[in-house]
Amino acid sequence: MTDTRPSFAEIEKKVRAGERLTAEDGMTLFHEPNLLKVGALANEVRERLHGDRTYFNRNMRLEVTNVCMASCLFCSFAKLEEHMPGSHTMTLDEAWHELETRMDNPPSELHVVNGLHPGLPFSYYTDLLKGFKRIKADIHLKCFTAVEIHFFARHYGKTYEQVLLELREAGLDSLPGGGAEIFHPDVRSRISHDKATGDDYLEVHRVAHRLGMMTNATMLYGHIETFEHRVDHLLRLRGLQDESLALAKAAASNGGTEPRGILQAFIPLAFHPDGNGMKNLPAPTAVDDLRTLAVSRLMLDNFEHVKAYWVSSGPDVAQIGLAFGADDLDGTIVHETIYKAAGSNSPSGLTEKDLVRLIREAGRIPIERDTLYRVVKEYDKAAMPEAALKVRDRKAEKHLSILKEIVS
Amino acid sequence: MSERVSTKLRVSAVEYLNAQPLYLALAGNPDVELDTALPAEVARRVAEDETDLALMPVAAAATIGDLRLVRGMGICARGKVRSVVIVSERPLEELTEVSLDLSSRTSVVLARLVIRHRLGGKEPKYVGRVAADAIASIGGTTGAVVIGDPALRIEGKPAYTLDLAEAWREWTGLPFVFAAWFGRPGALDAAQEAIIQKAKVDGMARRDEISDAWAKANGRDELLASYRSYVHDTIRYDLGDEEAQALARFYEEAHKAGLLPKAEVRFFDQDRDDVASGSKPAQRQSLDTLLGRAADGERLSAAEGERLVAEAELFDLGLAADAVRNRKHPHDVVTYIVDRNVNYTNVCTTSCRFCAFYRPVGHPEGYVLSREVLGQKLQEVVDAGGVQILLQGGLNPELPIEWYEDLFRWMKKEYGLGLHALSPEEILHIAQMEKLSTKTVLERLRAAGLDSVPGGGAEILVDRVRRKIAKAKCTSEDWLGVMRVAHQMGLRSSCTMMYGTVDTARDRIQHLVKLRDLQDETGGFTAFFCWDFQHESGVRIEAGDHGTMFYLRQQAVARLMLDNVAHVGASWVTQGPDVGQVALRFGADDYGSVMFEENVVSSAGTTFCTNAGAIEARIHGAGFRAVRRNVRYDWLNEPS
Repeated sequence: MTDTRPSFAEIEKKVRAGERLTAEDGMTLFHEPNLLKVGALANEVRERLHGDRTYFNRNMRLEVTNVCMASCLFCSFAKLEEHMPGSHTMTLDEAWHELETRMDNPPSELHVVNGLHPGLPFSYYTDLLKGFKRIKADIHLKCFTAVEIHFFARHYGKTYEQVLLELREAGLDSLPGGGAEIFHPDVRSRISHDKATGDDYLEVHRVAHRLGMMTNATMLYGHIETFEHRVDHLLRLRGLQDESLALAKAAASNGGTEPRGILQAFIPLAFHPDGNGMKNLPAPTAVDDLRTLAVSRLMLDNFEHVKAYWVSSGPDVAQIGLAFGADDLDGTIVHETIYKAAGSNSPSGLTEKDLVRLIREAGRIPIERDTLYRVVKEYDKAAMPEAALKVRDRKAEKHLSILKEIVS
Repeated sequence: MSERVSTKLRVSAVEYLNAQPLYLALAGNPDVELDTALPAEVARRVAEDETDLALMPVAAAATIGDLRLVRGMGICARGKVRSVVIVSERPLEELTEVSLDLSSRTSVVLARLVIRHRLGGKEPKYVGRVAADAIASIGGTTGAVVIGDPALRIEGKPAYTLDLAEAWREWTGLPFVFAAWFGRPGALDAAQEAIIQKAKVDGMARRDEISDAWAKANGRDELLASYRSYVHDTIRYDLGDEEAQALARFYEEAHKAGLLPKAEVRFFDQDRDDVASGSKPAQRQSLDTLLGRAADGERLSAAEGERLVAEAELFDLGLAADAVRNRKHPHDVVTYIVDRNVNYTNVCTTSCRFCAFYRPVGHPEGYVLSREVLGQKLQEVVDAGGVQILLQGGLNPELPIEWYEDLFRWMKKEYGLGLHALSPEEILHIAQMEKLSTKTVLERLRAAGLDSVPGGGAEILVDRVRRKIAKAKCTSEDWLGVMRVAHQMGLRSSCTMMYGTVDTARDRIQHLVKLRDLQDETGGFTAFFCWDFQHESGVRIEAGDHGTMFYLRQQAVARLMLDNVAHVGASWVTQGPDVGQVALRFGADDYGSVMFEENVVSSAGTTFCTNAGAIEARIHGAGFRAVRRNVRYDWLNEPS
């Protein structure tokens, strides 16, 4: 089988020529024994796109309910029904209070994802959003995964478009990328059979893009899926992004002023096995985390950002990830509970100082961004290790030559 | 350098007779601070920036790398040198063994090159011996390289004497340069160079006086005439174009033979001329060339190591280190050991600023483990299929050597585990306390069951750093000295580096070069491990260069520099199992140990626990097969 796959050298050539990679190329990359070759190639692409610029934001995670009708095997967070031990649903006041208590150093983004709670009225969610905006009018609300949007549509008898418009009216700004898991039905039907399908997930994002909303995408890897499933997942995302980019471009050339949505960032998420239905599986190791980041960066040629989500891999490996294709560390988070429930050893929050340090130690330039990747604060390079500065000068030359090759 | 207040030129010179005519006239010069030392010490001062200009052997200069020479002066010979000879009772072709004084690297390299050339690539067995032992070993088919005064003293007596400078000239048609003035680029301006030139002129005129004084001081009146002719006729102090060419040839041959790093012959005045004429400095080798040479396993100079640290990208270093790992360990196998780290006492007198583990004598939290507790720990290791105990502790003044001997005998008898015990600091502590030599302590402990010596406590083997972080600890030379003795007795040891306090990139490279030099001498190091200083609030020192990326770079550079050390281990205990796994792709071929406990690091807040299954899963995840090892890195089962 392997001999029909393209060689790594051929892929290298394609990447340097700016050519799109195929599913077979993706398989070669996942099977290439030399991890560092894959990483170095992904790093070239990352630096071509972003140089050393490395993003983070001041965000805050909130999970208002862990009551969930879905029974995903990989989840250690959700409690199936209300009043089961450990289940918890915040009152609106409790949820708003979480933000209020952070107003001395407010986050610029609130990232809310929840269980699929069967017993709440839709107004709970719209009121929730309105309340957050009352507390801080300019906070960016990145709330509800496509799986939740799909659930709202079914549960409350609305279309995706209606759900999204009503939530937007209440203050929703963009969609997070959670709930993607693995799209392929062979896997999805086994690990999360009773929630939005892969096609549903993609359709929600498609509709959101048409409405002008920015969204993000994830992939939960390292459980029962194969490399083929991962590649398939990435290609489905790339396909949707092609569509959305084409629409955005067409709209722009027609002189339209309406904003068009696209997928902003891709975030690979490592499966953590503690306390869930797949607890006998080993967790993916750091080498798999780095390889998956790198292959994602190489396959997703139409994504601007690839994120090393430090909550998933731990800050140390996320830092290494900044050399394996990632240009973003996510944010301060403050209070993460989903990975915690699955046995992650990562801290529940990092300070801005921690994030800046992690990025600088990696020899990169920290950029604080808002949710839409607009620059909030550009840090100077002064505190970068001297070695990193020298390396950067040399890299600048190298990338110039690569760019020249691509242009010519 | 920042600690310097004086603007005087700091000059160091080897204190041999043949060097005196070049430097003696500098004594008393108000613009010069002159000191003399043995060659290794002079080289160390240059490497650690404690001197500006040094009259030093050419091989040591190549090891430091990227140094400049003063034109016109050196310790050279055209034909016979008389003081660097191979002496034997049988002709060279019949020798099966040659004793080498490994502290004199230039002579050793020259001897090996000449022997290879004369015997068409064939070489006898080389055995490192101190000078007196080397001379005593001569007899039968054993010869010795004899250097300096001893060579002059036995002149004409042995049956066969091969003068190495003469042999070099017969081979290459060139003179030989033994030593010259070296310094870092820019260390010397034209005015200062003029002072050095003038000192030579004065020295040449005083040669009789110098050699007579030497004879008197050494009580060798009978050699008066021999010394005079030696400094007048034998040694040539001019270093002209032909000598420069000769030195370049020597560097080239030594590099080709893998005996020295690649080195260039370049003079201070060439740099100055380039600046004056505004021309670009001579083209250095490109970084890619350097990386290629590193990946090929070539010996690198300290300067080249520093350049890699400063300029190479993470992946460049990783891929080069991975290539070296793959060549040294071509089966894609990563080893690990099942052992237990037992800290027998936390009572310690050194109070290192980076340590959160120790308690001073008399402290209520101080402990010495009882046999009962130890026995339980050891039994657990036996039950878990473990093969050794790593036994280390504080420097506890209440434990005499008999305590260790009894303990070792008991442990060996009852549990039969390998005993990887007592770092150099502890050996020295016992030696001082008992007023015994290091050798005696090691011999007694070995008789009681010691199998190997752990390489802990090396920290950074640069005394400027050690004084700042651990005042009471032994010096770099002491640490290396214990290892030298242990290796010479046939004990093996690991070596380590703890960086990330006040150390600079240059210090870290110097640390690696010191380990490599000793390894050239003894071959006793099995493996190298490094980690960063584990910062914790109770510790009285600020963290310096550290971070995960830094660790990976550091380990990769160590793999490239330590060309003569077989194994590099990932320190997952300090970096975490995830980073430890990634480190297997940055030059490491060993994942360390399944540890039951590690008190020293864990009291600094780093507690990682992992078992054999989890370790093997990570090794597999990194693309390797896993195999258990013992302290000598023998495989204990089939890799899987």
